Amino acid sequence: MKQRASKTVVIVGGGLTAGLIARQLTAKGVEVLVLERGGDHSKGPESSLPNQRDELRWAVRQGLIQDWSRETYTLRHGQQQTALPIRWMESFLPGQGLGGAGNHWNGHLYRWAEYDPQLRSHYVRRYGKQAIPADMPLQDWGVSYAELEPYHDLFERLFGLSGKAGNIQGKVQPGGNPFEAPRRGDYPQPPLHVLESGLVFKQACDKLGYHAFPQAAANSSGAYTNPDGQKLGQCQYCGHCERFICEANAKGSPQILLYPMLRQRKGFEVRLNTQVLGLRYDAHGKRATAVHCLDLLTGEEYEQPAEVIVLAAFTMSNTQLLLHSKIGKPYDPVSQTGVVGKNFCYQVNAGVDLFFKDKWFNPFLASGSTQMVIDDFNNDNFDHTGLGFLGGATIQGWQFGGRPIKSRRVPDGTPRWGTAWKQANADWYAHSMSLGIEGSCYPHRGNYLSLDPTYRDVFGRPLIRMTFDFRANEQKMARFVSGKMMDIAQHCGADKVGSLQGLVTPFDSRIYQTSHIVGGTVMGEDPHTSVVSPHLQHWDAHNLFVVGASVYPHNSGYNPTGPLAALALRLGDDLLRYLQQPGRL
Amino acid sequence: MTHSVDSPPPDSAGSARRVFLKQLAAASGSLPLGKVLAGGTATALLLQSAEATAAPSAKPVINTVYGYASFGPDEAAFVEAMLNIMCPADAHTPNGVDCGLAIYIDRQLAGSFGQGARRYTAGPFLPGAVQCGPQLPLTPQQYFKAGVAEADRAAQRLHGELFDALTPPQGDAFLQQLAAGQVAGEQLDLAEWFNTLVYPLFTEACFADPLYGGNVGMVFWKMIGYPGLPATHALDVVNYLGKPYPGSATPKSIADFS
Repeated sequence: MKQRASKTVVIVGGGLTAGLIARQLTAKGVEVLVLERGGDHSKGPESSLPNQRDELRWAVRQGLIQDWSRETYTLRHGQQQTALPIRWMESFLPGQGLGGAGNHWNGHLYRWAEYDPQLRSHYVRRYGKQAIPADMPLQDWGVSYAELEPYHDLFERLFGLSGKAGNIQGKVQPGGNPFEAPRRGDYPQPPLHVLESGLVFKQACDKLGYHAFPQAAANSSGAYTNPDGQKLGQCQYCGHCERFICEANAKGSPQILLYPMLRQRKGFEVRLNTQVLGLRYDAHGKRATAVHCLDLLTGEEYEQPAEVIVLAAFTMSNTQLLLHSKIGKPYDPVSQTGVVGKNFCYQVNAGVDLFFKDKWFNPFLASGSTQMVIDDFNNDNFDHTGLGFLGGATIQGWQFGGRPIKSRRVPDGTPRWGTAWKQANADWYAHSMSLGIEGSCYPHRGNYLSLDPTYRDVFGRPLIRMTFDFRANEQKMARFVSGKMMDIAQHCGADKVGSLQGLVTPFDSRIYQTSHIVGGTVMGEDPHTSVVSPHLQHWDAHNLFVVGASVYPHNSGYNPTGPLAALALRLGDDLLRYLQQPGRL
Repeated sequence: MTHSVDSPPPDSAGSARRVFLKQLAAASGSLPLGKVLAGGTATALLLQSAEATAAPSAKPVINTVYGYASFGPDEAAFVEAMLNIMCPADAHTPNGVDCGLAIYIDRQLAGSFGQGARRYTAGPFLPGAVQCGPQLPLTPQQYFKAGVAEADRAAQRLHGELFDALTPPQGDAFLQQLAAGQVAGEQLDLAEWFNTLVYPLFTEACFADPLYGGNVGMVFWKMIGYPGLPATHALDVVNYLGKPYPGSATPKSIADFS
């Protein structure tokens, strides 16, 4: 196979983490090549008026999402079942194109709890060893929040975060999240406007003694220039964030804040429409030597050698590339050996709709992050003694847009068509809001990723097989926090409270929940239980690194972007050290 | 064309459009859907919508092309009857066909969606957990048509008539039963067919941008108060906090800006 000229650092996947790593490396003159399977969205109809506002094209038909005809996943809920391919995925949405899922995210940002990176030690310390079930392989990350804090701070300034601090250097700040990990200072920008839904939610939380705070977000509350001189516009509250590219350049996204700048830097190259099919691995030398590429426009296949290879694709693709390239031992749930594919976790969701005859919510006046949140029942922010589960969830009062195909609410019992259906839509569209929970999902020994024995992608590789379901721990947690949410719902003063839309079990690929899937290439200090080291270096290939939510050994009750961005920036700095003296970091 | 039409004044784009719409109204009586259009409110609606948006835009109204790209006559009869039951003419909107819902679904099925674009289509096709999603070797267009044929056979079995011959109350009851899984298909699960393919197409037809042929005149947007484009609301979000938003009465679609 044809070989191209070797590069210093090759990054697989042109999303958020790749852009952050490349920022650190190219600033010091290191040559970086980014390989992206999709194209460039920055000048097309998806990123300009009027076509950006097309709900059918981008949201319903998934115009920015992975092409399922090329690559999808198979699903089974347990090892005894035969997995079937998900022919059209709704539950989570990997991006395609430069910027990756960082194009179409809503923008919610959390740093995660101070104890999240030491979650196992934390629970053992607080509740004793027996509190962690034998089938829940929680593990520490081998890195502390304090080590990541400078990178969180840098990322938040790069992406112009809007928010209200709740904990500055250990001092709780009124109006912010009192449970948040200590920060060195406030957010770079003030929070987004609080909408009617947020006011209703906060009032109910105040009554109940909970601590509501505005969602911190990469949706720019004002015009902003970041430390690199890159600019964000002011959020226009158009209600087209998630599943859309922001045409106002107001949503912190790699294709606005990173790639245009990187493309001006010497030694940086991005190769679009380039599918990575696998890695070449030298098992004796314990090195990854090259990336096997396919040019999707010309059909040309070639090998791209590199001194350092970084896997920075979506959770599933990182795992697939390692399994398909036979790097690292695949996880076996029966013998509890192997590591690649283990600790695959999703996220817990539930919700309820509220209806108010006399309140105007104007759902279309919103950003993807306009919500008030409480953290009182999230993770281990409350005492779990005697509850029979671990973990928790945020509870939110939200309003993310009134896009009319997918964002209408009608009370229980409304017919599904006819005049009464129309009347209910007319009556309640502007007069309703929702509460939701977003919760942790801890690993279970039976939840994992592997290669499917039957189904293949369009390139002839086995599909990734998900063996996953929400287990007893997550179901109990969802019931508990949903109960708290319903209690808040009853205190909101609504004319009608909908019925609980609880955690859907078994796991259902047909319903959008979140795109926050994690694990598969987890980090840790022990090569027997982790794929990569605390510095994200592969245990079986010292020049191979993996970054993204695939390195999380568990999912927290938060959106995953904060820590993965901090880890990516730190990895950029780690790679500078590695290149000076290649070896174990 | 059975009526002669005066030439519009050369300087009046708005008038030209009204004339064009009158031509359409006159012509529609001889088109395949004349049964519906002749007695329906589509032309009135189009005219009304043209009046509402005549100035300052000089763009033609969307959805002025009639005739189906994917439905045969029997399928069209089924779909039109179904849509007029699901969306009867009432105080909120004209009937479903006059709202462009059939045109929308027909075009979606004829286009890339109907051809199965971006769907995984490799076999084998095996039964299993419903949570994996449908496992059929059919494109959405093929699935839609197969379901129409099955549902028509079921209507004949239960009522002795094709679905489009049922009275509206009979047809409504039939659809309710079908959606609830109480009408057995011979080979297909008709509830699955209706709930996962037909119903989503129905709501998209109602609420998608009129660019795609449904939601003619933005009737459904007006019904709920969705203002459409351009949605630059940085000031509105402050000025209309907790208050009605005046732009809801006069929505704008993509076509208004194209």
